[in-house]
Amino acid sequence: MSDPMPGRGFPSGEEWPRQLIPAITVEAAEYFAGAMRGELRIQRCTECGKHQHYPRVLCSHCGADAIEWITASGRGTLYSFTVIRQNGVPVFKERQPFVVALVDLDEPGARMIASMPTVEPAEARIGMAVRAVFRPVSDDVALVDFEPAD
Amino acid sequence: MSRRVCVVGVGLADGPLTPGMNANMLIAQAFRRALDDAGMEQSEIDGLASAGYGGMHEVAVAEYLGIRPRWLDSTAVGGSSFEFHLQHAYRAVEAGDVDTVAIVYGNPQVSERGRSLGTGRQFALVGPMAWEVPTGITLVGCYAIAAQRHMYQYGTTPEQLASIAVQIREHAAHNPNAMHRDPITVDDVLSSKLVADPLHKLDCCVISDGGCAVIVTTEERAKHLRKKPVYVRGAASGMTHHSIQAMPDLTETVAKHTGAKAFADAGIAPADVDTFQMYDSFTYTVLVCLEDLGFCKKGEGGPFAASGALRVGGALPTNTDGGGLSATHPGMRGLFLICEAARQLRGEAGAAQVSGAEIAVAHGSGGWLSTMGTVVLGSEPVR
Repeated sequence: MSDPMPGRGFPSGEEWPRQLIPAITVEAAEYFAGAMRGELRIQRCTECGKHQHYPRVLCSHCGADAIEWITASGRGTLYSFTVIRQNGVPVFKERQPFVVALVDLDEPGARMIASMPTVEPAEARIGMAVRAVFRPVSDDVALVDFEPAD
Repeated sequence: MSRRVCVVGVGLADGPLTPGMNANMLIAQAFRRALDDAGMEQSEIDGLASAGYGGMHEVAVAEYLGIRPRWLDSTAVGGSSFEFHLQHAYRAVEAGDVDTVAIVYGNPQVSERGRSLGTGRQFALVGPMAWEVPTGITLVGCYAIAAQRHMYQYGTTPEQLASIAVQIREHAAHNPNAMHRDPITVDDVLSSKLVADPLHKLDCCVISDGGCAVIVTTEERAKHLRKKPVYVRGAASGMTHHSIQAMPDLTETVAKHTGAKAFADAGIAPADVDTFQMYDSFTYTVLVCLEDLGFCKKGEGGPFAASGALRVGGALPTNTDGGGLSATHPGMRGLFLICEAARQLRGEAGAAQVSGAEIAVAHGSGGWLSTMGTVVLGSEPVR
């Protein structure tokens, strides 16, 4: 797991708009606490063995209420992506174009959407290896971005 | 008790831009026109379905229209809500819970809120959206990310996607209420601004104002009304996800199931469909649903569309009113699909008429490929 590092393309801390900071829901407290430490915390079902993101109280694959938390490797494969070239929200508009990706984590069953603010749009490729980086935007929320792993 | 169910009245509000008209005015105008189309009185409407943007929306609409329905449906699942409404109304009329249902929608989307729907506004960080919005993804981006995967997996090209917009634009030329009526080429689409790769501006639906109303009732009642009855032969609906990160497979939608069920109930195969009214929020929405509904094989939506199949005169004349891509998209478009399908089966589609149309399919898609409903209409009932 890499050390916490701020994203280079999107702002962190006070520069990130408050209205784009998610509320820490009861289910997601563990996820955000991990992200602040530079750990990608996801859930694993002890019944079916599959993983899930985002956090819930039941397994979204089999319905079991047998959820445990694990620290994911933070590594995954780019399942798909788009280059956002038009977003009216100022913090994004000022930084477009940028890549948003769907990442299949190495832990089976878990897919997550994330921005890849440091990757050049022309360099993004479906199937590329990526890793999580953590971008604190408040005292208790860090957003998880991805960057090329190689 | 099991009764056959028919679409007997359809109405469109003025369009595509109606500054000065609010949602209720658009609904009321379309409702009045649908009543006149059917030759019915307002007092005969005993069921109402609608989707809007606030709590108890359909109750306020009923009050505005001066009706007191004993059957209500406020299913609100995005743009496909109206295919869900038709399915529910079909079964409720069939079973005898209600006799005559009006499905209504109206929204001065562009006049009141501008063109911000696809990329210009920040969605609230509520529920699953709390995980998506901070990434900078947009509504257009959700479709784009799915289209990108289809291109990777099946070799679909931007030119094939563009051909969908080109063919539907040809139909818009015949619709005086269409936002855009001038012909376009594949090059025009590809040289329009990229909004979210691989989708260009002309791969995206227009934003317009608009209103629509559709009335369904029993076959018994339909026989004594003004227009030739259009039979509801089958309807099915479903969903796969809310967040795009939870869509199981970006290249396959729930249309695979809604189509199979609706077609089986209707006693038809995809090859029997004479005209297809498809929720063309984006060119990719059309492409993936052509495959999932069985009009071509999985992965062959690109070549199928680019063959010219979607033109009037082609294998599957699609969006004969100019669709959302060129004609009308007032926030949600699902009801307009049913209206155009019914007009085709009555032979009222003018220059865009598919000659001898007997089976029409309306397929709605809501959210970001999230919720879908398939409706099969026919000039004759299921035998």
